Amino acid sequence: MIKLNFVLNGESKEITTKSNKRLLDLLREDLGLYGTKEGCSIGECGACTVIMDGKAVNSCMVLAGQIDDTEIITIEGLGDSNNLHPLQKNFLKQGGVQCGFCTPGMLMSAYALLLENPSPNEEEIKEAIEGNLCRCTGYKQIIEAIQKTAKELAKVISIAE
Amino acid sequence: MIPELNIYKPKTLHEILSLLDQHQNEIRIIAGGTDIVPGMQQGSARFNNFHSVIDINSIDELKSITFLENRVLIGASAKFSDIHKSEIIIKYFPVLAKAAGKIGSTQIRNLATIGGNFVNNAPCADSVPPLLIYNALLTIKSLNSERKILLKDFLLKPYKTQLLPNEIVTQIELPLISDKFIGDFYKLGRRRAVSISRITIAVLIDIEDEKIKELRLASGAVTPIGKRLIKIEEYAKGKTADKVLFRELSRMVGREILSETGFRWSSQYKLPVVQQMVFQLFMSLYSEAKESKSK
Repeated sequence: MIKLNFVLNGESKEITTKSNKRLLDLLREDLGLYGTKEGCSIGECGACTVIMDGKAVNSCMVLAGQIDDTEIITIEGLGDSNNLHPLQKNFLKQGGVQCGFCTPGMLMSAYALLLENPSPNEEEIKEAIEGNLCRCTGYKQIIEAIQKTAKELAKVISIAE
Repeated sequence: MIPELNIYKPKTLHEILSLLDQHQNEIRIIAGGTDIVPGMQQGSARFNNFHSVIDINSIDELKSITFLENRVLIGASAKFSDIHKSEIIIKYFPVLAKAAGKIGSTQIRNLATIGGNFVNNAPCADSVPPLLIYNALLTIKSLNSERKILLKDFLLKPYKTQLLPNEIVTQIELPLISDKFIGDFYKLGRRRAVSISRITIAVLIDIEDEKIKELRLASGAVTPIGKRLIKIEEYAKGKTADKVLFRELSRMVGREILSETGFRWSSQYKLPVVQQMVFQLFMSLYSEAKESKSK
């Protein structure tokens, strides 16, 4: 058993778990956060993407024992059904969600991109989501949703200034 | 399922070396984890013979990218996303910066490390051809010794290197090269992202007075391990740089690769692709060289 201290969606956590778990298992089995999906388990599909210290990572490739002292953001930290994040609203509006299995991972990759680069061009968006497979939408609607969100957030910032 | 593990998180390099010395084959280093974690999860034979891992991510000296007078030092656990964006690497070793940006996906580049890419010597390691053309020199440490070895000598055969069980690669040293070199990296995979490379080629070329002063060429994935194509490099030396020569060199690359790998079911597809791709690489570098001269 190992003891872990980390920040999850803005809240400090102290948890004891088995040393053979991946971050993905810790989130789903120990913390009941089922938003993070398990797809391929080998880093190809991106369904398990979460944000670790500000960067998108595949949670199937990180051991739970490695997250001590890090900050993790999962889809549950992005927004909830009463208070959707602008990315979530725009994914819905643009038709970027169909079966929905890739959506949490896709949203986390998009969110990590906007954290680092608030006004990405189309190529930068494609690069940010290149590790997230979607078999329904054909990606166009997803890219549009991210572009739209970036524009909206830029407007909010310029008004605030 | 991953077996129960002891996870060590040392705070100093010395602690890492002591752990390696004490546990030898029973322990494995984990840096990015992109190979080892899914490997353990799937019960891969490469990863089922140890019960302890050393997470080396908290050691800053193994991650830094440092410019010295005539060389650049890259910590072995520097992440590909940092190498891809490093101003030092972009400026002095652009072929490596480009290759770093083509590895895996954004998520993988945020975890995977340069040392991890070649310590298991998979033929498809994308950073190997660029490191070979820049004559990468590795620093390898154990508790009681330190040695330096060129990457080309470190790589023995597929999945086999010179690394001993009590050793760790700490640093990759790249000597600065003439700014007259221009270069490029090409990767062919089945799709753009997260694909295992089928063919990778890294080229550096120095054309002066219409002649090839120096050519450096390395292949990966298509050969059993990443390697420099020395015979072709030597053949090109001093020859007039033109379309005819580049076509000839491209054919030679194809033949060399075929003699390395033997004829395989995929050769009929790969050979013309390699030849055409190398030719295009040469031609685009050639026009780049001409343009930069006319400026």
